[in-house]
Amino acid sequence: MNAGLLVNATICFAITISSFAFAWVLARSEEEHSNKSKPALWSLVILWSLVGLTYLPTTIRMVAAYMGKPTLDLMMYNLAAIPFSFVAVPLVFFILYVIVGSKKISAYVSMLFVLFGASYLTFLFTKGVIGPYVTSYSSLFTINSDIAINIYLMGLFVIPTAMILGFLLLIFLQRMPKHLRYRTALPLVAISFVFDFMLTDMITMVDVMQLVARIFVLIGTVQAFLAYFPPMTLQEKLGIKKYQYELYEEDEEDIDEDREEYPDV
Amino acid sequence: MSEDIDVELEKEVAEFYQSLGIHQGPGDIQYRLILRVLGKNEGKITEFSEIRKYTDQFADKGSIGSKMKTVFQLEGLVEKVKRGGYIITDKGITASNFLKDSTTFYKKNKRMDEIIERMP
Repeated sequence: MNAGLLVNATICFAITISSFAFAWVLARSEEEHSNKSKPALWSLVILWSLVGLTYLPTTIRMVAAYMGKPTLDLMMYNLAAIPFSFVAVPLVFFILYVIVGSKKISAYVSMLFVLFGASYLTFLFTKGVIGPYVTSYSSLFTINSDIAINIYLMGLFVIPTAMILGFLLLIFLQRMPKHLRYRTALPLVAISFVFDFMLTDMITMVDVMQLVARIFVLIGTVQAFLAYFPPMTLQEKLGIKKYQYELYEEDEEDIDEDREEYPDV
Repeated sequence: MSEDIDVELEKEVAEFYQSLGIHQGPGDIQYRLILRVLGKNEGKITEFSEIRKYTDQFADKGSIGSKMKTVFQLEGLVEKVKRGGYIITDKGITASNFLKDSTTFYKKNKRMDEIIERMP
């Protein structure tokens, strides 16, 4: 029994709560979005819900490890693997839909990632896992199938990450207003953070690395919050604060009378 | 090199530049179409009638002839080689290339606008 496991459980719980809260806030803001952005909005809602659904059983898993219950630990690991293996699906849909603009194409390509996720789960469940190895900070499992790990790395990790990086590059190469750059780039960086560290979390065999990966997933979730709801101080610092103004009603022309006062201008 | 002229696209691009306050040059549909026809016929004589084929729906009587004289000939973008026949100069080619860049800029900008529109 170690307090490190409780810290781990707390971090997982924080990720769960913040992911669900973010998904809920996004879903609630549906009215504010145009029909064109709604498919991307719902894919984000699903993505963050899947992150929450992955870390809810993981929280219970950590508590089970703390209480010395390996059967519950294994059960929760298997349960967490289900939403985790489909995280790439809404992510791929989101990026493709935003770039290409076709719901059909995005849906078909996403279906491919459903297949990747399903085959990963099949190999994971048929070959099983080895563990748990409970340490001071974490409870670790080893995936007993090389094919599952390869599908995991190639299908679920490399391609979606490459898509995010490509999209980020596209945004950085384009000249656009600061606030739009912030609004488009930061959610992507946040998603990339969460997605990549979730992978590290799942396959690492080093307990401290798992803890650190989970801290970064939490940071990524907070970052996503900041992307959509930036606090005033951050807006001022980044120069993206919207200037509050009222339109000047009188439609008269400005006369450059001051020319005589400033003859050099 | 022969290339098709998409009148609707040229109109769209011209309207985009007009919306930015640029009413001359890239924002002028007549200028765009004349230069596109001239650019298409690089190294060959462009007949006035060929230009009119594209510009008639956007031009009042006499306005194309006037534009050829007061803009294209005056600035040395074309040289008149016979009655109703013009040939594009090197400077005209530069203007034509600029026009192509303005179309690319429009397309890039439109694409990015659409991406941002789809971003929640």
